[in-house]
Amino acid sequence: MVSRRTVLRAAAATGLATATGCTATADVLGLRPTVKVAVSWSGRELRAFRDVLDAVVPDDYVVEVIPLGDDIASAFGPRTPRRPDLVMLPQPGQVRSLDGLEPLPDDLVVDPPAYAEVWRDLIRRDGTAYGLPFKIAHKSAVWYRRSVFAEHGVEPPATWPDWIRLNLRLVERGVTPLALAAGDGWVLTDVFENALLGLSAPAYRRLAAVDPPRLSREPAVAAALRLTGGLWAMPGALAGAVDRSLTLQFPDAVVEVFGYRRAAMVQAPDFAELTIREFAAEPDDVAMFTVPPVSAGFAAPVVIGGDVAVLPAPAGEQAKDLIRRLARPDATERWIAAGGFLAANTLTPADGYSPELARLDEQLSGAATAFDLSDRLGALGGSRGLQRVLHRFLTRTGGRGPEAVDPAVAFAMDELRELED
Amino acid sequence: MVLSSNGLRFEVVGREVTGRPVRGRPRRPYSPYLLGLPGLALISILVVPIVVTTVQAFGDGPGNFAVLADPDALHAIANSLIWVAIAIGLIAVGFALAMVSYRIPAVTSILQPALVVPFALSLLVSGATFRIMYDPVPERGTLSALSERLFGSSPVWLGPGLFWLVLASAFGWIWLGYVVSLFRAGLDAIPSDLIRTVAAEGLRGRRRFAAVEWPILRPITGVVTLTLVVAAVRMFDLILIAVPASMHHDADVLALHWWRTGATAEPGRSAALGVVLFAAVAVVAIVGMRGLRRGWAMPPVSRPVGTPPPGRRARRIGWLVGFVVAAVWALPAVVLLATALHSPRAAGLRGWWSLDGLSLDSFVAASHAGLWRSMSSTLLVALVATTVLLVVAIPTAYLLTWGGLPPRLGRIALTAFAVLAVAPVQMYAAPLRDAFAAAGLAGSRISLALVHAAAGLPFAVLLLRSAFASAPPSLVAEALQGYDRQSAVLTAVRHTYRPALVAVGVLEFVLVWNDFIVGFLIGGPGTTPLSLVLWGEARQFAVSTGPVAAAALVSSVLPVALLLSFWPTVVRGLTQGTRP
Repeated sequence: MVSRRTVLRAAAATGLATATGCTATADVLGLRPTVKVAVSWSGRELRAFRDVLDAVVPDDYVVEVIPLGDDIASAFGPRTPRRPDLVMLPQPGQVRSLDGLEPLPDDLVVDPPAYAEVWRDLIRRDGTAYGLPFKIAHKSAVWYRRSVFAEHGVEPPATWPDWIRLNLRLVERGVTPLALAAGDGWVLTDVFENALLGLSAPAYRRLAAVDPPRLSREPAVAAALRLTGGLWAMPGALAGAVDRSLTLQFPDAVVEVFGYRRAAMVQAPDFAELTIREFAAEPDDVAMFTVPPVSAGFAAPVVIGGDVAVLPAPAGEQAKDLIRRLARPDATERWIAAGGFLAANTLTPADGYSPELARLDEQLSGAATAFDLSDRLGALGGSRGLQRVLHRFLTRTGGRGPEAVDPAVAFAMDELRELED
Repeated sequence: MVLSSNGLRFEVVGREVTGRPVRGRPRRPYSPYLLGLPGLALISILVVPIVVTTVQAFGDGPGNFAVLADPDALHAIANSLIWVAIAIGLIAVGFALAMVSYRIPAVTSILQPALVVPFALSLLVSGATFRIMYDPVPERGTLSALSERLFGSSPVWLGPGLFWLVLASAFGWIWLGYVVSLFRAGLDAIPSDLIRTVAAEGLRGRRRFAAVEWPILRPITGVVTLTLVVAAVRMFDLILIAVPASMHHDADVLALHWWRTGATAEPGRSAALGVVLFAAVAVVAIVGMRGLRRGWAMPPVSRPVGTPPPGRRARRIGWLVGFVVAAVWALPAVVLLATALHSPRAAGLRGWWSLDGLSLDSFVAASHAGLWRSMSSTLLVALVATTVLLVVAIPTAYLLTWGGLPPRLGRIALTAFAVLAVAPVQMYAAPLRDAFAAAGLAGSRISLALVHAAAGLPFAVLLLRSAFASAPPSLVAEALQGYDRQSAVLTAVRHTYRPALVAVGVLEFVLVWNDFIVGFLIGGPGTTPLSLVLWGEARQFAVSTGPVAAAALVSSVLPVALLLSFWPTVVRGLTQGTRP
């Protein structure tokens, strides 16, 4: 018994010594001024961002990355020694409503043609620019395995009804067509927004502009729900059926298609490329088509998301220097090389993109683009609002056949009406 | 009667003594009250925000409590009640296990450490481990692979309805060791001559249980029930990590519901939810305290003389049972270790049993997330909190035990401490966070350590007080003799009551190290205690199982080593308080 206790106490002491040693090392870094950057990324994206910083940051100061995940709102608060100096905000729609932000340095140009038209109103308040668009996300991409399509003789669809027929054909031949990451609410809202933008771009823009937003009064919303339901309600369309889809998070759905090869395609934004590159069993078997238009004669929807860099006031000189460096067109080339990154700065050279991302990049400057709706809806578009309505809609329609769609749409509109009151 | 001496005449007149021999109330010395000042200062960190929250809740009348009529809130309350039922079920299972292993003494040496190790782990680590084990993907998840091989298909373990199994397993894995250990300590302390007398009287089986074990174990059952029910009602971090986000609404409990609605609701309604939560646990605490009123001191352990050793067959069965239970209990820890030893890609695609992809890359990936910096941060917070707690709790407990308090004040103080010991973080989080932000202390580790010390003070004082209260009468008499003797008594206290002090120190360190909710709700950005790093890595859980397991493992080494080496002392400190 004595020897066991000695061993255990030695382990405890070693743990203490290691941790104390690390404190000593950390103190040494305090010799140079530190710029704290708060980000919401984790995993591979975080690593890629750190690579970007390594390339960009000079020797005068040290940058410390603070990953806050979903808790990014806590980065804004009163000035304390530990408050971040720079925040990479994943919901650009909040820039207009956040108080306590410092305007961007005057020498930074954030107007077209350097940045797309869609950013103009998002980052400005009373004419002054408060956010620097950093990363743009193309949310209308569908990634699929080329070999499955070739084996069953199907082509990427030209219209939405073609897509439904494609799925039906795959189901008949015993292949699960879709992997849906219902564990992450924003995946569901992305599908819905693509349907809505494809159906009626004016209705989409109306909903984004009105305050407070009134989804239940817009007939296009019901039509978009019907379209989405048609996609999900097909029996056998979803990998793992609704129950397992609810446990799948966004990267899990990608792994389902490319890692375990149990489904044919997944609707995922461009940054899914990072996950695909890490987990694909066959890296050459990757292809992508963009979400098709609702029918012939309509424009294909392009829903855009992104991250902006903002400076909580008051901002120090080093933080302003860092944001100037991040605004350079060549700043993000390491992340582009890693994959899954579309630069918001249009002057960034496009030769670093993979072929799929290059196609997406071309669409970003088109006219049919619109910004992510759930971001603009505020609380209504969040996890207690639209996301929850769509979760319930999925449980009511998933795999139950087309008869289940209309009643589920009626339920969903009622729930939206309740939420808005 | 008349006396005569030195020319003086004395008359002695008798009088019946009615009422007090001396008029007026006894003069109590004021100096012991000085001992209570540091305790008072520290506990005001809790009490003032709690009062602020209560005032906010009752704002303009009871209107804010209408938030309870919300169907979401009712659902959360129903789930909390289910958790209480799970806790009570766990106590029954632990009791049965203790009774069984008590009859087979050979089981102790393997079973005890195996059951105790999970107690040193945080609920986050346990939740992460069981989420890894219950992964519905058959290539990755242990149970899915098993049921696929046995039955051909596997249910979706993390899906609607079945996630309760995951949660209950994680909760039970952590707490069962504590329950069994405490019950075993109680059972071991039953004097053997009592058992022999009772056996001679002819009482067997259930009647013997009702006559002997149950009355003696009632105080320990009270402690265990109190701890577990309070833990069940305050459930917060386990659900956040073990249940996928889409089902957070189904798994909602009151403590979590407070957090979810806190950002959007008015402060009054949030405060009302906190008050309801507080009221629920306060009732449990007061009922438990009344049951414990008789005190915890157990009769000293006597060596079982003349009891025949168990037969060889019984001993062999005992070893087998102990081994099997210990192996089953160690399985989740093995899963965690094996998962951490795979590269992130291999851990995300295959299960822990696959042999390809073994590497230390997951640890490297975890360190990229700021693991080491947060470890030193957490160490600092835990050390400061434990030191402050011990320094403040000892004089406060001394004051309560021997300070000569008026009885009513003493009882009020004890009840207040019992209620504060179970106060949920939701009651003081919001005002404290605002106060720290206003004072420019947001993200300061020292203020976080003080909050931890304040939160641990009530339980520490209660524990130390019971230990001091079971003191031999001579020490008490010496203490009451006056101020000069008190320093000598304090020295005696340090030597004699080491188990209780060690128990308080070790438990507080482990609790602060494993804490999630206080750092989450009150710490600002950049405080990054270890638990927040783990939670951040767990955002995209299934593909990050490698780094999550690595981070969980690294953060568990210190508390496990600490608790394993001090466990016998801790149990003694919790159940007896004095050496025989």
